[in-house]
This record gives sequence, C-alpha cells and structure tokens, in this order.
Amino acid sequence: MGKLRKVLLNLSGLALICVLLVLSGCGGGGQSKTLYIFNWTYYTPDSVIQKFEKEYGVKVVYDTFASNEEMFAKLKAGGANYDITFPSGDYVSIMIKEGMLEKIDKSKLKNFGNIDSKVLEQCDFDPGNQYSIPYYLGAAGVAVNKTKVQNYDHSWSIFARKDLANHMIMLDDMREVMGDALKYLGYSVNTTDQKQIDEARDLINNVWKPNLLKFDAEAFAKSFAAGEVWVAQGYAESIFAEVDKSNWGTVDFFIPKEGGPSYLDSMVILKGSKNKDLALKFIDFIHRPEIYAEFCDYFGFPSTANVPARALKKGESWYRPEDLVNCELKKDVGADLEKYNAAWQTIRVGK
Amino acid sequence: MKKQIGLLYSLPQIVWLFVFFAAPLCIIIAYSFLKKGLYGGVEPQFSVEAYTAMANPNILLVTWRTLKMSVIATALTILIALPCGYSIARSKNQAIRLFLVIVPFWTNFLVRIYAWIAILGNEGFLNDILRALHLTTESVQFLYNQTAVILVLVYMYLPYAILPLFSTIDKFDFTLLDAARDLGASRFQSYLRVLLPNIKSGLVTAGLFTFVPIFGAYAVPLLVGGKDSYMLGNIIADQLTKTRNWPLASSISMTVTVLTTGLVFFIAMRKPREQEQVFDADPAFMQTASAGKR
Repeated sequence: MGKLRKVLLNLSGLALICVLLVLSGCGGGGQSKTLYIFNWTYYTPDSVIQKFEKEYGVKVVYDTFASNEEMFAKLKAGGANYDITFPSGDYVSIMIKEGMLEKIDKSKLKNFGNIDSKVLEQCDFDPGNQYSIPYYLGAAGVAVNKTKVQNYDHSWSIFARKDLANHMIMLDDMREVMGDALKYLGYSVNTTDQKQIDEARDLINNVWKPNLLKFDAEAFAKSFAAGEVWVAQGYAESIFAEVDKSNWGTVDFFIPKEGGPSYLDSMVILKGSKNKDLALKFIDFIHRPEIYAEFCDYFGFPSTANVPARALKKGESWYRPEDLVNCELKKDVGADLEKYNAAWQTIRVGK
Repeated sequence: MKKQIGLLYSLPQIVWLFVFFAAPLCIIIAYSFLKKGLYGGVEPQFSVEAYTAMANPNILLVTWRTLKMSVIATALTILIALPCGYSIARSKNQAIRLFLVIVPFWTNFLVRIYAWIAILGNEGFLNDILRALHLTTESVQFLYNQTAVILVLVYMYLPYAILPLFSTIDKFDFTLLDAARDLGASRFQSYLRVLLPNIKSGLVTAGLFTFVPIFGAYAVPLLVGGKDSYMLGNIIADQLTKTRNWPLASSISMTVTVLTTGLVFFIAMRKPREQEQVFDADPAFMQTASAGKR
C-alpha cells in the first residue's frame, strides 16, 4: 500500500514538472516570439497584424486604449510589458522626458525614407526622430448625418445651432474640445494665455454645451451610428467603423475650416522591451508602401505620413491631407496644463 | 495548541485583507499627502495641497450631487426590493424566484448598461413602441440625464437589496401578522408596525449594500449620464487618467472611504439598541389595538 502511494506521488510530481515545463516554454518564447502592442482602438487593421505574424512567424498581442492620458497612466503605473505604443506628439516629448522610451536605430529601418519630409519637419517634439517614428498625421473632425441636417457651414459654429440642441455630441477630451474653441476664436491650440483659455471655456460652456447631448469619448461613434445624435465631433475612423457601410453615403465628415488640434501619432519602443529587434521590424513593416496603403484604405485615411503609399491607395479618404492646413499640432504645455484642467473641470462638472 | 490552529485558519483572510485592502489603502493615504508630479505620479514631498484643493466649488457641487443621487437611488431600490423580498419569502418556489433575481447578475455589468441604452435610446425599443402607438412623433430623450443614471443604478443594485431583505423576511414569524390583524390592525398597519420593525436589520444591510457602491458609481454616470450627471467616481478617474493629479484623486478617494466607513460604523454601533426595540413591538400600538378590540 505504502509503495503504491509513493509511486502515485512520484507520478503526480512528474506530471507537475511537465506542466511547468510546457508553461514556461510558452511564456519564455523559445521558438515563437510575442510582440506586445499597446495601441488606440481602431488604429491598425487586423489584416496588417496577421500579415506581420505570418511573415515573421511571431505572435502579436494587441491591447487598446482610448486616450493618450489613459495609455500614459497605465504605463506610468507600471506592471505592463508592452514593446510598442503609439503616443501623440505631446506625449512623445513627455515620455522622452520621463525616460520611458528606448532610442530607435533608424539605420535598421529600410522604409524610413518613405515618410513625408513635411511630416518629419513637424516632429519638433522629438528632433531627428531619435525615439519616435511617425505613424499617422490626422485630426478629429465633425461627422454630420445628412438625412437629418441640411444647410450647415463647415465650421465649429455648427455647435452653436440651437435647432440641433440635444442632437450633437463632442469628445470628452480636454485638449481636443478646448483646442476647437481656441481655433474658432483665432488662437493657438497650445496657448498658455489665461485670458484666451477663459474665453474658450466660456464659449464652450455658454454657447456650445447647452446644445450638446453629452461629452463622450467612448461611445460617440456608436451613438452617431444608432441615430442617437446627428452631429458628432470625433475621429473619422471610429465613426466609419460603427456606421454600416450601406449608410456611408448619408455621412458627411469634414475638418472645420478654422482648423483644430491635429495629432501626429508616432510609434515608440518602450524602455525594457524584450523584443527590440522585432519591434523595429514591425515599425519598418508598417511603412512598407503596400502595407501603409492597406492601413489607410481600411480606415478611409488619406496617406498623410507615407509618400509612396499615396499611389497605391485604392479606396477613398474621408478627408484630404490639404484639409489639415489650418490645423495645429497639440504640444505639451507643461505646468500650464493646470489652466486647461481648471477650465475643463468647470465645463464638465456642469450645473 | 488550539489557539494556534485558529490563527492558521484566519491566516488566508488576514493576508487577503492586508494585500488587497490595507496595503492599497495605505498607498492611497500616502499619495494624498504628497506633491503632484507634473506628468502624473507623485513627488516625494509632503503637501496638503490635495486636501485644500478639494474645497473647490466644483468638487463640492459634485459631492452634493453624488450624495443626493445616491440617497434617491438607495431609497428607490429599497422601496422596490421590499415587496420583492417579501413575495419571495412567502412564495412556495423560493429557489426559482431567487434564481431569477440572481441570473442577470451573471451577465457582465457593462453589457447590462448597454442594454439600457438599447432600450431607452432615441432609436431604442421604448421610443419605437411610443412611435408605433402614435403617442409621439419625435423621439423622447430618456437617456443622458440624472434620471437615467438613477434608474440604471437602481436596476444594477436591486439584487443587493433584495437578497438581505429576503433573508430577514424569511426568518420573520408571519403568524405575528395574523396576531396583529386579530388585534384590530389593518393590513397596512400590520406591515408598517409589526413587519417593518422586525426586519430593520435587513433594511439597514440592504441600505448599506446599495448606498456604498452607488456613492462610488463610475461607469453608469459615464455611459448613461449627460452633461449634468458627473459624479465623484468620475472626478476621481479624471484626476488620475486625464488631468494627471494623482494626489487629488487619492484625497477624494480617501474622503469617500472615510465618509462611507463612518456611515457603516455609525449604523453598526446603533444596531444593538434597535434590535432591543424591535421585540418591544411598539407597546403604545398594542394598547390602542387591544382597546379598539374591546
């Protein structure tokens, strides 16, 4: 009896060791490597990810965030082991300052030359692109449901229209909405002048907000697609991902003529990444003209960052690169962000 | 020897409480007394700024609003849960009815919120029905206001109130109700003056189980609330993720924790006395009731 028990014990011990070996084999990545990507919702098509996985024989784990702030707070809090993330310009400079990024060896990027030099010029948040490679230059705009709303200007003034009250929505995003109001008033989206910020706050609070259904950065596209709202400030890719393809003809998406805050999202490699080489390969892969064109076509983006991809694009774009002419890149305003915080809190808290 | 084994039994609980409650709480307390870092996080420097910043009229307004909405939502929840708990306790197939209360609980919280959006939305079921009945041509705006938030909160936390109420009502001796009727009480009087005082502990538990989570609500006001429904939970999240003011997020969390724990303590301390009263069963009423019988 005692002997049998001993055998059983030994056997179960052996089984345990086997399980552990198998598990560690998966985690450690002996033959198949895993690339951990932390990206915006709706930002890299699955087809592109699958092609990358197939070509390099690796696995990609793709997690998403909804705002720069969320991404930054999660990485800052630690515990995550992502290799690549996609911050906007202001956050690239913050992350460089905070020592969160790995330098990028551009000599290993064969496709770096495909990037539009005008876009590279705008990278003053990371001069010389030592830490970041541009992914996409774009801007939030306004989507209008043409079956419900006719006769409107391509201007931010649409949000002042009382007849559309409770049928309009804006992003729950401080810098975006404040930036729209600042641009409408003719100021810079990066102003640190208290008077200008106050003026923008009053415009939003007293003129725009009474007509808005709510501020929403999570479900604005769903609300728009469901016919809940007729006018939505937001990102084209989110809107068109939610609206059924057969209804695309009823949607007008425009960048208001006054311009607004634009964003230049870049790919960066995070400090402590275990797959730096693979991360570089991914960045290079994205800027292959045919891959970049596939990405743009998927979301209806103009090919703002990659020059040769423009000729390869097959689909239409929701807006043209020229529409961004009056837009201005958001920059990190440092400690002056407190002025924006105070203004935004007054707007959000409401009565 | 026996004592040591007792300690061993409670060890998992102690470890759990320490790792998942005491330690995080200490971190929050520490952060609330530090200086905020420019890009989030904290600087290792003592500061009470996070507490003075709370005196801001915006935050006071939101605190007042949160308190008001939580009280209304809790009261409504209990008002609905009471007859539910009572009918389950008196029913012959308790198990099935309890099961029906618990089943929606297994569905993800967010899915249930989105279900309400599908029901109440401008193009939702309810508006479709209203339009089909020609009661309205334009959509009625049910969503994105405080009423919608309160409605969904009541729905979310209803099981938390039904279950403790059911378990106390189930232990209640229903023949007392017959006795009260015999002594001349009306049906309503017998519920009000005999049943209610006897299930006070269930009412208190149900109240706490709903008020405390509702006071810290975050997702519901975010998704079905509008411009006027910002609650404390949303302010805390915004301070942490958007405005990068971790100390302020911590100091508000601390205040919420202290307020709710204070409330629980206050009620827990009072409880024994209340229970004594229960068995007195309102002597004045008994007298008038028997007088009426005479």
